[in-house]
Amino acid sequence: MNELIDKLKQELIEVLNLEEVQPADIDNNAPLFGDDGLGLDSIDALELIVLLEKNYGIKLNDPKEGREIFKNMTTMAEYVSQHRTK
Amino acid sequence: MRIASHCRITPNRCLANGQPVPVQRSERPYLTDLYHSLSMGYPKFFKMDNLCKAGVLAAELVLRGSSVDGLTPRHDVAVVGLNSSSSLDADLQHLQHLHPDSYFPSPAVFVYTLANIVTGEIAIRHKILGESSFYVIPEFSAHQMAKVIATTLSDANINCLLCGWIEVLGQELDVLMMLIDRLNGPAPTAQNINSLYNER
Amino acid sequence: MLKRLGDSIISKLGIGSRKNYMAVRNGQSGVEHCPSGTLGVPEPFMASLIDRELLNDHFMPIGGNRVHFYTPFEKLAILAVHQALQQANIDAAAPQVQFILSTTKGNIGLLEQPEHPYGPQRVHLWQSARLLAQFFGNSNEPLVVSNACISGLCAQIQADRLLALGQHSVAVVVGAEVLSKFIISGFQSFKALSPTRCRPFDAARDGLNLGEGAACIVYQRREADCPMAPGEMRLSGGAIRNDANHISGPSRTGEGLYNAITAVRGGHSEPPAFISAHGTATPYNDEMEAIALSRAGLLSAPTFSLKPHFGHTLGAAGVLETVISMHALADGVALGSWGAEHLGVSHKVNITPEMRPAQGATFLKLMSGFGGSNAAIAVSTSPNTTNTSQPCE
Repeated sequence: MNELIDKLKQELIEVLNLEEVQPADIDNNAPLFGDDGLGLDSIDALELIVLLEKNYGIKLNDPKEGREIFKNMTTMAEYVSQHRTK
Repeated sequence: MRIASHCRITPNRCLANGQPVPVQRSERPYLTDLYHSLSMGYPKFFKMDNLCKAGVLAAELVLRGSSVDGLTPRHDVAVVGLNSSSSLDADLQHLQHLHPDSYFPSPAVFVYTLANIVTGEIAIRHKILGESSFYVIPEFSAHQMAKVIATTLSDANINCLLCGWIEVLGQELDVLMMLIDRLNGPAPTAQNINSLYNER
Repeated sequence: MLKRLGDSIISKLGIGSRKNYMAVRNGQSGVEHCPSGTLGVPEPFMASLIDRELLNDHFMPIGGNRVHFYTPFEKLAILAVHQALQQANIDAAAPQVQFILSTTKGNIGLLEQPEHPYGPQRVHLWQSARLLAQFFGNSNEPLVVSNACISGLCAQIQADRLLALGQHSVAVVVGAEVLSKFIISGFQSFKALSPTRCRPFDAARDGLNLGEGAACIVYQRREADCPMAPGEMRLSGGAIRNDANHISGPSRTGEGLYNAITAVRGGHSEPPAFISAHGTATPYNDEMEAIALSRAGLLSAPTFSLKPHFGHTLGAAGVLETVISMHALADGVALGSWGAEHLGVSHKVNITPEMRPAQGATFLKLMSGFGGSNAAIAVSTSPNTTNTSQPCE
């Protein structure tokens, strides 16, 4: 799981253009959205949906599903490991 | 009405009120180096397309030292952009995500396929709640800019206007940003705008 | 202040503003299911598309053998202007006439066809505008307004201000948009499209429909103190305001839209005859609009959205929806809003699926869009049509 989390962090930094963030800066359990933690926004959430589909073959049609999945790195990695098709 | 301050950005060069802005060059793109040299501390910058980057940097420079401080919401400030190729630079990026063999349209790219996003980014950065507009014309025209300035300031609620020619396409980078207010000084006439555009 | 000399609409629902207006009154919709592969888009979608063959058939009588020289986008815009000019009875080639084109993406679909015959310059919005003005023999440099979804209102506001400068006395304001894989794929990636016909302000709303269309209003400058002739339709005010909040998400407080509405209404407390809302049927837009209407004290005004009939026609929408609303104002009705069965916003917007009589001489047209932009215009007609005062020329 830790390996997947590290990989997801790298991918997240790349697709969301978080130029000044290092993987080590992202706490596995800190919120990704909102003013605490990473402070991602609604476009970032949509971009993460594209990431899941492109890299892991997971298709989310309802963006609301993303809220739970993208809560933090741990929830995201758990979802990916359970649902990935590639 | 006067041009209170202005800024010119061309490939590898930036002038603020006629003075060169010192930029520590690296192998990164010029606009990124310019961003770092301005110590903006605005990570959102890296999410923007080049049109927005250019517009946001130019706005930063002309607003430094002005009453538009980015902290107080300003209902009396407008931001208006003009260019020739609209958002074509971002449009070509979006197109690359539509290839039949790898069809993954990206919302973070698509959102920049509207030219007026640059005025929105500037408004967000500086808490500008007045008008935001974007016009497309064939080429730089000081005459058209003077007209747009006059029409925007015909809104009596607007005291201050950021007006920029922001042309970005591939390697092409051509920006003239002006801050215009209602005080006395060098008027935003076509002649004055032209001389700022031709500043070296 | 501007007086309408003529107007037109071209959409899936037909050619001509009266025809489109009556289609709306009769509950017709151009929005249809478009199966996978339509316009090269892999996923199916709902949209109001204009048949290209039909467009050519209508273009032939005015453009003749140039039917293959112009792109579908340009033909649509030309046709709209041609129709409006027939009513306006002016010489479009005259130096006092200024063309203003409102569009978000113009010919952008050409990028998807590397082999297209139109030349590399044709994706430029200004190029389309030039060809349009030249078609009508007008040699003034046209202006393109590209301000996302609010462009059509901005174009009318800018027409008013430009004519006030005095150099021109007539503005031909045309809004046009055609759809392409480019646009639809982007809205799909935003998860903004509804799989069914859109339901503005309804509890079950789940996104917007896109649409193609063009509309034109020919405006002439009028002094504010000049009395209105019976049936005259005037653009009496307009304002554009930014949310300074987010480039794609509507403001949670309706800030920009509220500010645009109050700037247009000034000190007027008299309620408008109706409000022609933006009403895209995305969850956030309609909620934001409800908040802005509540803050502006306009919840009691009859409100409707035209999106279930035309889809969101993007750069054309501001002009197209203004034209339909002008016809409704002339008839003294607030149109019905298809699908608004169970209000699904946090403030009690006065919206019904049925058409209702409307009292008053002024309506407000609202729009909001990407980039945090919002616009409002006020359009007025003469309060009673038996007004016998001499109109000024």
